[in-house]
Amino acid sequence: MEPLLSVKDLKIEFDTRYGRVTALDGASFDIHPGETLGVVGESGCGKSITALAIMGLIPSPPGILAGGSIKYQGEELTTAPEQRLRQLRGGEISMIFQEPMTSLNPVFKVGDQIAETIMLHQGSSKDEAMDKAVELLRVVGIPEPTRRASSYPHELSGGMRQRVMIAIAISCQPQILIADEPTTALDVTVQAQIFELMREIQEEFGVAIMMITHDMGAIAEMADRVAVMYAGKIIEEGKADDILDFPGHPYTKGLIGCIPALGKASASAQTLPPLAEIPGVVPPLHLLGKGCAFADRCNEAHDACKVSPQLKGSPHAVACHAYRGDVA
Amino acid sequence: MSQSKAPILSVEGLSVSFPMPRSGIFGERQYLKAVRDISFDVPAGKTLGIVGESGSGKTTAAMATIRLTEAQAGVVEFNGTDLFKLSSEEMRQQRQHMQVIFQDPYSSLNPRDRVGAIVREPLDLMNVGDPKGRDARVAELFELVGLRPDQMALFPHQFSGGQRQRISIARALATNPALIVCDEPVSALDVAIQAQILNLLRKLQEELGLSYLFISHDLGVVQFICDEIAVMYLGEIVEQASRMDLFSKPQHPYTKALLETAPSLARRKSAGYRREALVEGDPPSPLNIPKGCAFAGRCPKATEKCLNERPELTFDGNRSVACHFPND
Repeated sequence: MEPLLSVKDLKIEFDTRYGRVTALDGASFDIHPGETLGVVGESGCGKSITALAIMGLIPSPPGILAGGSIKYQGEELTTAPEQRLRQLRGGEISMIFQEPMTSLNPVFKVGDQIAETIMLHQGSSKDEAMDKAVELLRVVGIPEPTRRASSYPHELSGGMRQRVMIAIAISCQPQILIADEPTTALDVTVQAQIFELMREIQEEFGVAIMMITHDMGAIAEMADRVAVMYAGKIIEEGKADDILDFPGHPYTKGLIGCIPALGKASASAQTLPPLAEIPGVVPPLHLLGKGCAFADRCNEAHDACKVSPQLKGSPHAVACHAYRGDVA
Repeated sequence: MSQSKAPILSVEGLSVSFPMPRSGIFGERQYLKAVRDISFDVPAGKTLGIVGESGSGKTTAAMATIRLTEAQAGVVEFNGTDLFKLSSEEMRQQRQHMQVIFQDPYSSLNPRDRVGAIVREPLDLMNVGDPKGRDARVAELFELVGLRPDQMALFPHQFSGGQRQRISIARALATNPALIVCDEPVSALDVAIQAQILNLLRKLQEELGLSYLFISHDLGVVQFICDEIAVMYLGEIVEQASRMDLFSKPQHPYTKALLETAPSLARRKSAGYRREALVEGDPPSPLNIPKGCAFAGRCPKATEKCLNERPELTFDGNRSVACHFPND
């Protein structure tokens, strides 16, 4: 199947006071119609930069697109004119952000904010757009949508605001929905509601989702495929089950092992063993050397790790010299 | 709850409310009831966890317990001393025995102070030992929490989030407290760093015999670190039990929903898992508390009785639950 979105060797650099640093170093991945790609990693590993690059929203300066390509349905986005990008953003590719409070405009009613997108992309009249906005609020599960359309963002709870964000994002029936930590700011019971809503929308409209998260639990529940990122590189990629059950990269193993898990076994254990730790911290980008960025924190590191490993293998790809394939 | 040792902290009938602005000069003043008549004990050398969603009153309850927020009613006994009867100077002296670790390691350290001075400050304020001895104590604390004594001269911005939280922990330990209130100490950290801090907190408890009052919304974290857990909803404790009882046999429908909706690696999209949105909507406003059970509006098995009659927290010999139909 032809991928909907194809990112090849994408490289993003930033000018900082430490000189030019590479925030994203040769990331490649595809997103196919109707699937969910989970992108996971710690803060500062390049997850959000990847999303912003696809949307053409890297602030420049200080950001520099240093190489690579982003193809949407065969159309190159890195060289596309701003006018074309504006058509695509919100129309074909839309995005929901982590913090729904700061991504909605506090001085406009939520109905107007949804209608704005519809008028802009579909050329509808104000009245038509408002009718659609109310309908969208109903689709995303907001009670009394007609009344709520004339509420301001501060009158809504966090969960409802995120529903409004989703309503805006799906208002023009996009092909790709990029969700950047959509539930991190929400409580678990509300998180469950938002995930359920995203799954329903995916099934009903066939939209492909790129979900950025640091939560392996969310990956298990939402993703078909997973890309694990570390210090600006994709270090492991594959089917969600393969990655969760047979992680190949020591970093992925660490990420899975350090979660305090809920489950029958731990619920009945008299004492729980200490959590697995990944020692140290992510190195700052300006101090990255030539070798594997994870080597300093890795207990499997050896001489070969002084050279940065390539991402190898299909469909389960791992960038680690110590990895010997799916033997586990 | 059979406890062999006397509790270090014992809270009876604690209530906290905050006055809201009047609607007009002659308008009636409304009160936001943040914590409503709760009681709990922290056993010596153990950890009591308080879990709940945002706005459930868990932080307010903990802060009122150590008089950082004023309580309207209740008795708090710390090591046999009634804290609410102390003068402010007597209370200040008591504070060396109870310390706090805050959620956000970025805003809880003074950016203009060197971290050595930050950790030393409690010793200076409490007049512990002589000035030379204090410096040696700070160096010892740095090693205890996994930092190097030569880092004492640095400023907070030169540390990562996890290291800053270690500094907060060192500061909390400086006066040799018996009780530490941990207010979401790991929720601002990445999972890999979270595991390091949780392991450290457990190690320190074993070595120093500390008691923790641990506030969190993350059930995995709570299960890992707590011996006894109180679940709060809209300012009340709805269920309290030992770790094993609570996680293996939750009884309150809200606790069940929290456990059901918590993300887990075992819940896979590939296996067709869908989170049931067990609870719908949002919690009611603490300004307008329902007459009956506070959870009734979101509870899947609420009856007429639940809407009209408030269930008391009752102890069945093993655990306490506030529900009319806990076993159905």
